Amino acid sequence: MPNRGLGAWLSLVHQAVSLEVRYGRHALGALADIAETVEESVYEAGSLARTERGLAFALANPPLRAGAFTAVRLALNGIPVPSDSLGLRPGAGRPWTLASSVSLASPFEFHPGRRTEIRVEPMPGAIAGTVRVRLELVSKAIPPLVWLEFHDALREVPGP
Amino acid sequence: MTTPTPERDASTGRPRLLRSLRSAILLDERGDVELQREARGASLEWGGVYGQLARLTGPWRISLDGGGASSDLTGSRTASRVTGDRYESWHRIGRIEVHQEVAPLLETPGAVRSLRLSVADGDPIPVEVTSAFEPFLLPVLVEGIRPLTFRVETRPREIRVRQRAFGLSFRSSVAPSHLLLNLGSWLGGRYRGPVREVASTHDVLVSPDAETRLVLSIVGGLERDLDDSDDSFERTLPDPAVEAAESERREAAWLASTPVVRFPSAPDLERAYAYARAGLRRLYADPGDDLTGLVAGYPWYSSLWCRDIAWMLPAVLWLGDFDRAARSMASVLRFQARAELGLLGGELGELPMQLSPGPIFLYGTSDTTLYYPELALRFVRHSGDVATAGAWLPAIERAIAWGELRTDEETGLLRNGGEASEMATATEALARIQYGIDAPDTTIWDSTDRRDHAIDVQVLWYQSLQAAAELLGDGPGSPAPDPRLALANRVAASVRSLYAWPQESYLYDSIRAGVPVARIRPNALRAVSAGLVDPEAGPSIVRRAARDDLTTPWGVRTLSSRDPGYSPLAYHDGQVWTIATAWAADAALAVGERSLGVDLLRRIAARYVAEDGEANECYRGDRPEPFNSCFLLGFSVAPFLAVLFERLWGLSLDARRCWLGVRPRFPSEWSSASIDGLRVGPGRVSVDWTPNGIDVSWSGPGPLDVTGPSDSVRVAPDGRGRLAAT
Repeated sequence: MPNRGLGAWLSLVHQAVSLEVRYGRHALGALADIAETVEESVYEAGSLARTERGLAFALANPPLRAGAFTAVRLALNGIPVPSDSLGLRPGAGRPWTLASSVSLASPFEFHPGRRTEIRVEPMPGAIAGTVRVRLELVSKAIPPLVWLEFHDALREVPGP
Repeated sequence: MTTPTPERDASTGRPRLLRSLRSAILLDERGDVELQREARGASLEWGGVYGQLARLTGPWRISLDGGGASSDLTGSRTASRVTGDRYESWHRIGRIEVHQEVAPLLETPGAVRSLRLSVADGDPIPVEVTSAFEPFLLPVLVEGIRPLTFRVETRPREIRVRQRAFGLSFRSSVAPSHLLLNLGSWLGGRYRGPVREVASTHDVLVSPDAETRLVLSIVGGLERDLDDSDDSFERTLPDPAVEAAESERREAAWLASTPVVRFPSAPDLERAYAYARAGLRRLYADPGDDLTGLVAGYPWYSSLWCRDIAWMLPAVLWLGDFDRAARSMASVLRFQARAELGLLGGELGELPMQLSPGPIFLYGTSDTTLYYPELALRFVRHSGDVATAGAWLPAIERAIAWGELRTDEETGLLRNGGEASEMATATEALARIQYGIDAPDTTIWDSTDRRDHAIDVQVLWYQSLQAAAELLGDGPGSPAPDPRLALANRVAASVRSLYAWPQESYLYDSIRAGVPVARIRPNALRAVSAGLVDPEAGPSIVRRAARDDLTTPWGVRTLSSRDPGYSPLAYHDGQVWTIATAWAADAALAVGERSLGVDLLRRIAARYVAEDGEANECYRGDRPEPFNSCFLLGFSVAPFLAVLFERLWGLSLDARRCWLGVRPRFPSEWSSASIDGLRVGPGRVSVDWTPNGIDVSWSGPGPLDVTGPSDSVRVAPDGRGRLAAT
């Protein structure tokens, strides 16, 4: 472990211990619970998969902010996906909405606990292995950009 | 039916909050526990049961099937009403009459529902009642998340649902005849996985002889607080009417302890005082885990936000609730960062942004820490309780040290911004999945970038330093000048010299990289209220703010409509906020613009009336329509109350030396006003004003010195005194 990493690790341990000492024996567990719940409740781990014409993944919850979004952008390995190749739908069987049609007048909504499927078709270039996915959302009501970024292995299971 | 139905059905589908100190129920008036509410531009479901500041459930719906008819409660409602914290509805399903009562529990976090079923005549009818709820089990810290995985377990007397550290218990007076999980039949036992719905059916027989009662309850919060051995539900079935009656009794006792304010010349303001006072009380919370405070707002700010508590405590003190103020202060100060806590975005001395049982506490604002030195001083001045405040002094000292590290050496100005990015950096290596909101700044308008030296943050810094100097200093007789006071004076001088914007007769909003930020926001008015501008500049700043690009008939925008960044939908870049309207009223009255000040207060009062006692967070900038707005927010009631006491009545006090100042700023056409039962330390004072004089009566243990607009009087215990009105 490089010294810098060791220093950061020790700092984390110190912070964790001081949380328990200062704020009670439940503090660290409660905070970790919240962090883990948020981390596991948005991107459906393992849902990133190749489809016949591109790829798809799913979100089980909105990333941090719910509501209506007037713009949706996606980048794969740092390369922006054209908005007319990016589709979203609020659950299986619902019609797809292209990101290019999302606007102030026609926002896309994310609801707590509602699954959102996201697909990219056609695939923008050669993508395989572990993919860095960054989703950016512009809220209708609160301006700052909301974003989600994760790495996951692209499953090679063509869709129906 | 034993309970009469209301003469008319006043149901409008409007949001309703039923609450106790530990619990809340959010519903509309359509007949069930559900509430669709516009939030963040979309219609989202906020209905459910809340306990210990955690959302225990989403919608909790009930349906009935019997006698050849079936319906849910919404579809069968014939009438409904809300009385205090109790919701009642009446339903007819075929021959079956149903009277439903819903109330939050007072001592246990959760809710109780009672159904009384009856038939007028004929044969007894077997009825199947189905209860179905969506577990949530997460504090409302993260507005957009519903957990994915739950554990469900049947026990002898309950269905227990758990999600990590949170849990709920469902109980019923009639044992379930059938269980359903995720819409499928379930034999019970233990289950772990996704849960969309937990449902149970309860078979009852309804006959003409007597009404049949079914009681259902959901309690919960921290799982560790759920008592496995508790059989109180079965022993004494909770009754919504009893819970609500006790809640009403406590409410009445609290109201009786607060001042009675009368404005015969402005009955709308008198009514608004009653609305705002009741609204503030509804935000009181004792969620457990030794936390006390006030919830920021409902539905989606239902946790303890320490900035919001800071805006509420001045009103709590004016209402005389010193105990609530002291315990709230102690709760916040207990979580002051005593070391660098990068994981949580906390710097040494910083006070948390949010608190919730767990304990869960998060840092990362520019301003929260700065409110508390002045609040400590306010507490001492109202209560005279130096001993309680004495325990807070080390925290005040650390808060000032935190601010000093953010201070520009040359100007004394405090730097705001960068908190969110610091937290992101600290946690980057820890998380597999990264999230973020690109908000580089965290002032009260935390969705917009007001770096580096937002003017209202400088006002807070100035007030903090002044308060700390009084609380921590050696007093006026000290030979050496207090360094905090010296720094406060530098901040004041910098505000006067660097923020003046002569072209607009206003103040710049911020200073970034040494360059003034020329945006017209109401935040500048805080400098006027704090006396940080030259006396001749104050009125022109106030009048500039009153122009129609910033001020609308329904309140004050967060940004001028002339600004290129203005949007009527933008939370902090164009929407109207009631707190901003209160700031404008405060500043107007402070500089003697009485008509304008009262007019602004009346705009707030009109909103309370229009909303039947609720107090929306914010409105569109282009029309008086709530948008992206909590329907009850502390920001929208407490500052209004404080302005009534401090500016309209012109009250100031110091219980340490048993002193009260009264300099009313009533409009010239007013003929009378009175205030009864205002607490000053251990006593209570009443003040009657007419244009001919001010009468003061006092019930404290020692004499009270009172200073009026032009003279003073010493009032003996249980005595009276009179002052000139002008």
